[in-house]
Amino acid sequence: MIRSRMATFGVLALLLAACGGNGAATQQKKSELTLYNDKGAWTKFFDEMGALSKQRIGLGMKPTGYTDSAQYQAFIKASFRTNVKPDLFTWQTGGMLEEIVKQRQVAETTAVWQEAIKAGDLSQDLMPYYTIGGKQYCVPMNVAYWGMFYNKKIFDEHGLQPPATWDDLVKAAATLKKAGVTPFYHTSVLFSFVWFEQLMAGMDPDLYDRLSTGKAKYTDPGVVRVMEKWKELIDAGYFMNPGDKTDPGDVMKTGKAAMVSFGTWFNTSMTQRDLKAGTDYGFFVIPNVDPALPKTSVIFESGPLCSLTKAADPEAGTKYLKWWTTAEAQEKWATTRGDVSANPKVTIKDEALGQITKDAGGGKYRLVNRYFEATPPPILTAALDGFGKFVTEPGTYKEVLETIQKEADEYWSTHQ
Amino acid sequence: MTRAPMLGRFRYGYVAPAALLVAVLLYAPFVWTAYLSLTRYDGLAPPEWAGLANFAKLFDDPALLTSTRNTLLWVAGTMILPVGLGLLVAVLSYDLRGGAWYRVPFMLPYALSGAGLAMVWSPVLSHDGVANALLGVDTAFLQEAPANTLAMLLVWTWQQLGVNTLLFVVGLQSIPKEPIEAARLDGASGWRLFRHVIWPLMRPLTAVVVGLALVASLKTFDIVWVMTQGGPGRNSETLAVTMYKETFVASDYGYGSAVAVLLTVVTGLASYLYLRRQVR
Repeated sequence: MIRSRMATFGVLALLLAACGGNGAATQQKKSELTLYNDKGAWTKFFDEMGALSKQRIGLGMKPTGYTDSAQYQAFIKASFRTNVKPDLFTWQTGGMLEEIVKQRQVAETTAVWQEAIKAGDLSQDLMPYYTIGGKQYCVPMNVAYWGMFYNKKIFDEHGLQPPATWDDLVKAAATLKKAGVTPFYHTSVLFSFVWFEQLMAGMDPDLYDRLSTGKAKYTDPGVVRVMEKWKELIDAGYFMNPGDKTDPGDVMKTGKAAMVSFGTWFNTSMTQRDLKAGTDYGFFVIPNVDPALPKTSVIFESGPLCSLTKAADPEAGTKYLKWWTTAEAQEKWATTRGDVSANPKVTIKDEALGQITKDAGGGKYRLVNRYFEATPPPILTAALDGFGKFVTEPGTYKEVLETIQKEADEYWSTHQ
Repeated sequence: MTRAPMLGRFRYGYVAPAALLVAVLLYAPFVWTAYLSLTRYDGLAPPEWAGLANFAKLFDDPALLTSTRNTLLWVAGTMILPVGLGLLVAVLSYDLRGGAWYRVPFMLPYALSGAGLAMVWSPVLSHDGVANALLGVDTAFLQEAPANTLAMLLVWTWQQLGVNTLLFVVGLQSIPKEPIEAARLDGASGWRLFRHVIWPLMRPLTAVVVGLALVASLKTFDIVWVMTQGGPGRNSETLAVTMYKETFVASDYGYGSAVAVLLTVVTGLASYLYLRRQVR
């Protein structure tokens, strides 16, 4: 009897010790950090960064990539309530970042930003995207400017040049269509918002900004005009079928459509397909629809890399983020992916991407926050569904706008 | 003789671990979901009490009407296709020499998961897919409603047919030979033999097959999520997809939970009504 009681106490003691072990683990010093991300296709690039960081600052990094962003976000949110916390994780700026900062989950990075700006590793222009309540959170994992990737061989074949005006772009589309080539790519899932934001930014960027802060309605005449312009292009037969599931990288490679609008990160898809910039494909800034606007609008996005306040080793997380912003880390990060960098010191070898980075940094463009980050999550979900419906049934645009506005009304009634 | 009272005294002890597991893993989440359905909750900040607001929204949401319509289409389609065809294949192949071999091709797809199945068929049915090339048409099978639901239902049939056939074959094999022989002696054959003798004798098994198919079709999720994500727009959503989307994509955990409660009630009620009819 006594023996069995002792055994029971022994088991209990072991269990308690195990629980205590978890607590002790929260103070342990880590030599390898986990990085959870929603960019599953970039695992190879993250691995290379992990190897470099191990060598340089003695902190390795092991990525866990998700490909479904909804699943990823649900996991991260759930992890806040458990002990399975990522050391580092990717997220989105805008409402999504604000949401988790308000819950005091994200480690503050004000000191990292100050130091990086002083050293010239981060630009002051980027800071507002990472500032909430006067403090900074996370650092830029990537930045991207949106424009048009085009199949250079097709353009050459039809004597076309990157357009300087919107009329030139439409003329080029008409020429291609006449020659039996589909001019533009679009899709009904996830990236269904691309042409909406582009046309909004090129027709009325102020209205776009007001829309994203709930100060304008989706049913306003300016937004309706945007949808009509979009419908005009669809009706002219300039887009490929939105139900086509060919990867956009392959669309570009095979010339299924001559032009694909994406962020500069799409360059990675090109390099992964052994396509050569300047020979196989090119990139141009999409001209404004309204030529009277003072500056050309360029869609801009920046994805944050964050660490948690309650991570197992918060100091290591901050150390890693600090290293991430340095020119050495960013040089590696940009060149392996063939993309632009958030660090102004990094030189971009790709001529077109180098040019847009320089021009954007020099204030040539009006940078417009990407729709994904600019729009609060519930409105975004309704809008993505709505645009998906619109591209398959263009006649439904008024109904689509009304549906999105209904969601917007509900959201802004409690969030203004 | 001495073991029975011992068993009696400790009988709850034997059941306790399993009961605890079921309570913690099955019923506690359900109670939690029911509670969340009465709150406003974004998955981060503490839930705020909202009363029946989420349920009121259910009745004012056109997307939910589409989901309900599609879910009913899935139920009706499942009864006709995987279940109906399963029965047909079972009956037709039952008496054949080497019938088991004929059934093998129908069985194989059952080994695939719903998501895997959708991954395979998605490119086939997309606008640039093999289906269009083979049929020489230019149709986006997965875009227009209700054609997209029907297309996915065919994929579902491709997978489920085998297991339904197998279950019906088991049912056929369990029928005693005597009543059939007696009916044959009385001159019954073909459709008459099936309708008046075989079918009534198979009733217990049919109740199981239809009951399982009913529940499976009411909670259709994986195929739709992988193939269309409920779109385009929301025109191929089922109730389970709406539940997932509202909860995890729109981060409206309260409303998503309300859809989950609705789905549970519908599934529970449908199963109860169906089984009660069968047990009578």
